[in-house]
Amino acid sequence: MRASSVRVRRQLAGSPWLFAAPGLLVAGLFVLYPFVSTVVNAFTDRRTLVPGEFVGLANFRELLHDDMFWTGLRNSALYVVGVVPALVVLPLLLALLVQKNIPGITFFRSAFYTPVVASIVVVGLIWVWLLDERGLVNAMLETVGVGRVGFLSDQWLLLVSAMTVTVWKGLGYYMIIYLAALANVPRELHEAAAVDGAGAVRRFVTVTVPAVRSTMVLVGALSSVAAFKVFSEVYLMAGPSGGPAGEDTTLVMLVQRTGTGLTGRVGYASALSLVVFVVTVALMLLVLRADRREES
Amino acid sequence: MRMSRRTFAAAAVAAVLLPLSACGSGGDGGGSSDASGKVEGDITFQTWNLRANFKPYFEGLVAEFEKKYPGTHVKWIDQPAEGYADKISADAAGGTLPDVVNVSPDLVAPLARAGLALDLDKAAGRYKGEYLEGAWGAHRIPGTSGTYAFPWYLNTGPLFYNKSLFRKAGLDPDAPPKTYDQLIADALRIAERTGGKVATLANVPTIEDFGRYGVPLMNRDGTGFAFNDPKGVELLGKYKQLYDAKALDPQALTATPESSGKKFLTEAVAMNPGSALDLGNFKKQAPNLYRNIGITDQITSTGHVNMYVMGVMVNAQSKRKPAAVAFAHFVTDAAHQMSFAKQVAIFPSTAGSLDDPYFTQQDGTDETRVRVAAAKSLKNAVNYTPVLFSEQMKTALRNEVARALQGKESPQEALDNAVKQCDTLLRQQGQ
Repeated sequence: MRASSVRVRRQLAGSPWLFAAPGLLVAGLFVLYPFVSTVVNAFTDRRTLVPGEFVGLANFRELLHDDMFWTGLRNSALYVVGVVPALVVLPLLLALLVQKNIPGITFFRSAFYTPVVASIVVVGLIWVWLLDERGLVNAMLETVGVGRVGFLSDQWLLLVSAMTVTVWKGLGYYMIIYLAALANVPRELHEAAAVDGAGAVRRFVTVTVPAVRSTMVLVGALSSVAAFKVFSEVYLMAGPSGGPAGEDTTLVMLVQRTGTGLTGRVGYASALSLVVFVVTVALMLLVLRADRREES
Repeated sequence: MRMSRRTFAAAAVAAVLLPLSACGSGGDGGGSSDASGKVEGDITFQTWNLRANFKPYFEGLVAEFEKKYPGTHVKWIDQPAEGYADKISADAAGGTLPDVVNVSPDLVAPLARAGLALDLDKAAGRYKGEYLEGAWGAHRIPGTSGTYAFPWYLNTGPLFYNKSLFRKAGLDPDAPPKTYDQLIADALRIAERTGGKVATLANVPTIEDFGRYGVPLMNRDGTGFAFNDPKGVELLGKYKQLYDAKALDPQALTATPESSGKKFLTEAVAMNPGSALDLGNFKKQAPNLYRNIGITDQITSTGHVNMYVMGVMVNAQSKRKPAAVAFAHFVTDAAHQMSFAKQVAIFPSTAGSLDDPYFTQQDGTDETRVRVAAAKSLKNAVNYTPVLFSEQMKTALRNEVARALQGKESPQEALDNAVKQCDTLLRQQGQ
């Protein structure tokens, strides 16, 4: 009896690996290999059609003196600062709003989620039309006497406009995450707080927020990584050159601009990618650490 | 199989973040220039965004070639305009570049230097006399000795202007500007009369604009850029004057040719360069503009208008070089270029084709007027874009020009910086 069970166990020993094999293969081919290749390339002067030579830390030294790198780093960091608080707080408020079971609320839930499924290119173009010098927004501003505003020609307004699009498009996604979290908040807590005389704001601060705190951390971590890696919104609204004089270029835009095309500097773009990777990991760890400190 | 939470978290973080770091990689090139032998076998032909409008033409072309050379089979593939250079670079790096590829001169340069474009001076020099001299030379690369693509179609176009906007500004709609000074004066007047609401131009000056103004773009050896000379500074100074007066659209700093075309369509700007193709577009999308459309010649200080050259290169690593060279020549020979030109508003690069009555005789329509004028100007047109001027260099120039227009740098400083950056990029490209 014991011998046969040992035999069965031995036969099954390889099974987990077998089940994991397709996933591991995909991860190895499309995640691990490109990553290792990028790390290796970062220390070479490789170009698109020319295999490079080992140059040590030259690429990293160069990016320290590259004005466009600092511009990209500044804009990506500003994006995190501008977008993350909005994406942590606003979807929670939205979720509280649509959580209520009132007639027709499903329509609003779907409406708020629609931007998430819309193509970013379509969304970007629509916002470009809206914010154009002769677009709807400027026409309205002109009607009320404010005059035309250069949403797409001023360096800072352009960045804020792109942030607005990111927040608008991401609201529905994070709202769904919050809805799931809110469903797990015991109703009794709210009732008890209400009996103790707590108003809506007080209940939000003392009951809702602590109950969904871990979800807020998750949303903060996810949105900060996404914000630091922003590309599409800024590319579509500021154009391929990254806004006036390239002043709205983000780090990922710089990676794309530097590393693609027939004359792309793959080595330098890889070094930039590594910096993006390190900063993103650091951001993630920072959020998780802050959460752990809160917890303890 | 037990995994700690920390390991799992690390793996999850890596899975989310690692794809970001994926970058392409390159390959080495090389191949002989010998294309002699029997024309046979399977080849692949890649075009640049032509299937949507010209499918029957290319299918007919392929069938005709296969009939002329039994034993050949041409697989035609077409790539969208967006990301075409990236597609070629991925194919080149992956060793899957088609045998015959539709290219522009700036795409040929890196492929030739990587040994991926066949030297046609050696492999197909016997056909050289069939093409206009300037067109054949468009695919010569400084620092190399060969010619790396058959010239295919040429394009150039007039400067369109909105007569209605000219009239509203008190300008004579039948006397469009012919010189840069007249252009500046008219543009300032339009801006002044409309309170800055109507600009005349929608794009910042490009390398072609500097060329047309008579600015030397590169040094004689093709080893460095030279557009920061006094003439270049003068042109940028004029654009600064326009920008300050809102005679240059405020969104010009981030404009693309498509967005500036749209501005012209919506009558937000008074002038825009274009081609005969645009007339149909105006007629369909902006009938009011079409009724008021004015057509004038490109403004130049050199007497030579700018032309764009499209080419067809042969992959130096093709296993079917005789068939590939024969097909590339077949696509670009006089008869086929002429028949393609009758399908769409482009111009043949073959010698004598521009003397065909189709390009010389008027029939009273605007389309023919534009075509005849363009064909005439092409005879001494220049492809101002240096073949070594990469996308990264275009961005560098554009950003420095924007700084000058915003007043963050003087025109001289901006052009000095642009030249410095372009020279650095040129060195990094191995020139």
